[in-house]
Amino acid sequence: MGQTAFMKPGNPYLPEPGPDCVVSARSLVKHYKNNDRPALNDFTLDVQQGEFFGLLGPNGAGKTTAISILTGLFPADSGSVRIRGMSFQEKEHEIKRILGLVPQDIGLYDTLTARENLNFFGKLCGISGRKLGERIQQGLEFARLTEHARHPVATFSTGMKRRLNLAVGLLNEPQLLVLDEPCVGIDAQSRHLIHEQLKEINRQGTTILYTTHYIEEAQELCSRIGIIDNGRLVEQGSPVALLQQSGRGNLEELFLHLTGKELRDT
Amino acid sequence: MLKIFAATTKELLLLRRDRTGLLVLFLMPAILVVLITLVQENVMELTGQKKTQVLFLDLDQGDLGKSLQKQLATTTLDLVLWDEGQKDIADIQAAVTGGGYQVGVVIPKGASARFTEETARLFQQGNGKGKPREMTATSVQLFVDPGIMAGLRSGVTAQLQMALTTIGLEAKLAQLGGVLAQTMARAGAEPEQSPLAGEKLPALFRQPLLDLQEHQGDSGAIGASQYKPVQQNVPAWALFGMFFTAIPIAGSILQERNSGIWIRLTALPVSPLVLFTGKAVAYMGVCLCQFLLIALIGAFLFPSLGLPPFTVSMHPMAILLTVVLSSLAACGYGIFLGLACNSYEQASTLGSTSVVAAAAIGGVMVPVYAMPQVMQRLSVISPLNWGLTAFQDLLLRGYSLSAILDDLGRLLLFFAVTVLLSWKLAGIRK
Ligand SMILES: Nc1ncnc2c1ncn2[C@@H]1O[C@H](COP(=O)(O)OP(=O)(O)O)[C@@H](O)[C@H]1O
Ligand SMILES: [Mg+2]
Repeated sequence: MGQTAFMKPGNPYLPEPGPDCVVSARSLVKHYKNNDRPALNDFTLDVQQGEFFGLLGPNGAGKTTAISILTGLFPADSGSVRIRGMSFQEKEHEIKRILGLVPQDIGLYDTLTARENLNFFGKLCGISGRKLGERIQQGLEFARLTEHARHPVATFSTGMKRRLNLAVGLLNEPQLLVLDEPCVGIDAQSRHLIHEQLKEINRQGTTILYTTHYIEEAQELCSRIGIIDNGRLVEQGSPVALLQQSGRGNLEELFLHLTGKELRDT
Repeated sequence: MLKIFAATTKELLLLRRDRTGLLVLFLMPAILVVLITLVQENVMELTGQKKTQVLFLDLDQGDLGKSLQKQLATTTLDLVLWDEGQKDIADIQAAVTGGGYQVGVVIPKGASARFTEETARLFQQGNGKGKPREMTATSVQLFVDPGIMAGLRSGVTAQLQMALTTIGLEAKLAQLGGVLAQTMARAGAEPEQSPLAGEKLPALFRQPLLDLQEHQGDSGAIGASQYKPVQQNVPAWALFGMFFTAIPIAGSILQERNSGIWIRLTALPVSPLVLFTGKAVAYMGVCLCQFLLIALIGAFLFPSLGLPPFTVSMHPMAILLTVVLSSLAACGYGIFLGLACNSYEQASTLGSTSVVAAAAIGGVMVPVYAMPQVMQRLSVISPLNWGLTAFQDLLLRGYSLSAILDDLGRLLLFFAVTVLLSWKLAGIRK
């Protein structure tokens, strides 16, 4: 990897994002109203083309906030975000076209069927006609919900909902897929399926930004991991490099060493 | 455009799946319009806008009773004749104070005889010198419910008094005719030559010389026969129902905001305005159906409940336009609520309170003209008042589209402002 595999927070010299840089965030700061602690504090991140980047951190570390700013849901108080060199101020529409987001909370209409959900979000992505029909069919197969296409989402198990949630995020065949804890609370079978599918999607060239608080998940999936705590990236590198550099036996030890053993109840 | 269509279809699908929600949206205003109109019909009776029932007990069974009945036949009093063989004064008193009837009239025994006697004596007073002799009036007894409104009481009393005065005057004139004839005969003239002779006099007296010509407002396009409460209540409660859809609209937005849907939507290449438009169009359909339902209830159910039917005889296009713009205003308000509030509980509490308040201020519950001055001036801030005024101009006053353009403009402006505010809020609340 040409970039520094190991970058200290607050690094004074930040390399300019290269042409392969899909996501580049510089010194993001975000304060929520009614919260004294900043949710993001000097958060800096680069994700390269074709990477499977895992943002690993305990609850309340700032993962969702980071993702929200990186996908343009709201702006940071300060700092800059570029997606493929474009900023949200200038090219919001263009960025959104290449972006797929799988939100942490399930973003599906409960009373609509799987097919109706796919159909609605597909149309909002600007897909129509025969192409839309194909994408819906692919989405249903991807989520292994073809049999349940006509059932309302309310009748689904969490695993089924998570699978459909992911399928909807893939409707527009995004170049950058951003997933916020997409496997929370589901059975091993669904998780395994999602993992395999994400690896396949990544192999086909989609850049993935994936947040999780499960260490094994990050280790299994990601080509590079960034550990986030208290709103800043405290360590990053490939799973192997992280272990080597830290000199610890496993990632969990490193994680607890970096983030402390204090309970996170936010 | 395609995206707006998609958003509208999605909204309609969601509505179709929420049967109970829809049922409430349609049932609530339907029940209210029927109940309120039935209740108000009674109020109209009490305020004299409808025929008042009057118990009539003729213990005398003479000419006086017959004349009085004849006189009252043309008034707004509706006589309920009681049989003198079976009922007496105590019964009337009980019926009136018990609240079953508001007014009772009793002709005491011997009243006709005494009246004829006194009338005959009126002109038998010797020559023109000295003070006229005091006459004794023959009394007709009137019983009035103490709980009756002052307006109705004076209305009924005035009509009865008028009838009695007329009977008395006719009797006096008949008597005067006789006296004149005698006087003329004594002077040597042929009584038949006098235009005032005998029976002719009361008939001449009945000829009208002055009358009161009544006009309805400015245009006079609608006859007095039109029953106002129905024409007022049907659009009023339809509007109330329409503005209540603001709550489910807010609910649908909050459901999206409190799940991952809103985040997903904001990440898609689609403006919140497209989503708002989808909601507004879908719920406008709901509002149109609501209005149609209430109008149909007014037109077809009311007659079978003993109420006059609701009629839309004039300006159907202007009425449709008023319904559409009122719906848009309601939708805009709902969208605003959905973004201004943070939970469904907040939105439904704030929404229902504000809609009921706007309905009260706007004249849905009590007509604006019946409010105190301060409230009348306040009523113009209520969007329900704008809609209602437009409907009243069309349905009651018979105005045309040009007369309601200001109210329609206000409704449109309200929609635009609420949607723009919501758009701003959507930017903040991503
Ligand atoms: N809407 C909000 N208002 C106030 N504080 C918030 C809000 N959202 C998140 N926070 C706070 O910001 C911090 C980071 O939250 P978040 O990004 O959701 O963390 P994570 O996704 O890693 O669990 C937490 O301390 C959380 O309490
Ligand atoms: Mg989170």
